[in-house]
Amino acid sequence: MSPIKIILAGLFLTISWLNAVDATLTIKKDVEQRGKISLVDATTGASPVKSKFFDVLIADLKISGHFIPEENHRTEAGMSDTIDPELKNQEYVLKYALDMSGGMNATVKLLSAGDGRVILSKDYHITSADKYPFLAHQIAVDVNNKIGYTDIGWINRYILFTRYTGAKQSQVILADYTMSYQKAIIKGGLNLFAKWADKDQKSFYYTSYSGTLPTLYRLNIYSGSKSTIASSQGMIVCSDVSPAGDRILVTMAPNGQPDIYEMSAGGGSPRKITDFSDIDVSGKYLDGGASIAFVSNRGGKPTIYRQSIGGGSASVIARGSSNDVDTYNNQVVYSSRESSSSYGNNTFNLYLGGGDGGGVRPLTSSGTNQFPRFSVDGSIILYIKNKGGSSSIGYINLLSKENLLFPLGGKVQSIDW
Amino acid sequence: MKKLYILLAIGALMMNGCAQKKPNVTNGDETVTIDENNVNSNGYNSSSDGMQSFYFDFNKFEVTPDMQQNVTFNAGVINGKLSGNKIKIEGNCDEFGSDEYNYALGLKRAKAVKDSLASEGVPASNLVIVSFGESNPQCREMTDSCYARNRRVDLHTVR
Repeated sequence: MSPIKIILAGLFLTISWLNAVDATLTIKKDVEQRGKISLVDATTGASPVKSKFFDVLIADLKISGHFIPEENHRTEAGMSDTIDPELKNQEYVLKYALDMSGGMNATVKLLSAGDGRVILSKDYHITSADKYPFLAHQIAVDVNNKIGYTDIGWINRYILFTRYTGAKQSQVILADYTMSYQKAIIKGGLNLFAKWADKDQKSFYYTSYSGTLPTLYRLNIYSGSKSTIASSQGMIVCSDVSPAGDRILVTMAPNGQPDIYEMSAGGGSPRKITDFSDIDVSGKYLDGGASIAFVSNRGGKPTIYRQSIGGGSASVIARGSSNDVDTYNNQVVYSSRESSSSYGNNTFNLYLGGGDGGGVRPLTSSGTNQFPRFSVDGSIILYIKNKGGSSSIGYINLLSKENLLFPLGGKVQSIDW
Repeated sequence: MKKLYILLAIGALMMNGCAQKKPNVTNGDETVTIDENNVNSNGYNSSSDGMQSFYFDFNKFEVTPDMQQNVTFNAGVINGKLSGNKIKIEGNCDEFGSDEYNYALGLKRAKAVKDSLASEGVPASNLVIVSFGESNPQCREMTDSCYARNRRVDLHTVR
């Protein structure tokens, strides 16, 4: 080996080693920033949700990316401020006691493991015991916020999804993000493409097939009041709601041709945004509403394009054959098909990138990963994973890289949160 | 009088103890359930009334020359014994592809059949198109022949 080659090889090894060390340090630093926390369950007597409640709380703390929770389900009689000596190496101890009178109640104390100082003391109540996951989520949010970590309010949000139950039959389901709570909010008939209408999650849009033409409705989940937004022959889908909540993107086909239109959130005259002779669907607002990302087969196969909200030419922003796009400010996430079999379980992976097509990075590496959706704060990606004949709902924390999967039965048609 | 005050005090305590606590948890309020199990489908039936379905290749929506015989046959039925009836043309897909894209694909298939029937003299104003995407499969086996049966357009009379 020539001296130059030896020097180059040595330099390469040094750079590789430095990179490896740097990566290791980065990971270690990241882990060290997370709070070590133990949970102590002081619930007296048997509770049907004792174990599930603990699991939900552990999941909350994990996916926050701010804690390293100890997964041992510790119990104690009575809820003292004393810290078990075994837990002195933790930073925090979260003690709680549940009781089921009048729904579900929780008494909670967050203690500093080192000196037993009470950081948070609060009582919680929820009327329906089956909504216990939301009680756990609220505790996790309060604990997280009290310590001063970035808000994780997204775990309190409803997941709204549509599931096929038979031929021309579906259900619209409300759930918590772990799927521990599920309630059919519309059952019977064919009702599809449920999409939240407001940031407060009080109303949602959905497409009903009960009439002559597919019709878009908006339903209030608390009062049950329903308003008709628009109808279209062929299909009509609310694909997105503008950041200000005053406009919606709708795929419809007034002349039998599926294109993307924009209209007022309450209905009214649609304005055509895309104009193509084949298929344009799934419009999502980009850049604060100045542009849209959408799925089109104008290149011969379905993939992701972008275009100004005012019209004009469209440009490709995704790799290969892609669909299921979602947006957050000027970012896009989409599902890309990575095997060529027409049938069977093709590999679909998720990619995150800029709305201009740059800075793309993979988020998954195996299985069928579809329906990616940004959380309301853009920090988490929700998705549906099918692998080995079973489906799960997954979450990827984009900052901490935490990834959680929860089992999900049935065939999902659409999902939003 | 003293007894009355004691009774009132006990009553007040009981009322207070029984008063419903207000939920202080996000999403703690009750939500509704809409039950549409008993809503009928506006008088549609599922029969084909002698009409025949169209079948498509994967991700395709064009009416090809080999479907022309089917177009002519259905146009004859619609202009014959079904003359004057409204016909619902339902586009369907196999289970592959994303949700909205599949509904658009089903719609393109229904539209292609509508246009081909219109070109055979069926009044377009009597033809209604709707896409059911992958929601109305004829079979559920994971075989090529089953997937092919689901990539179809059905014709029904609107009663």
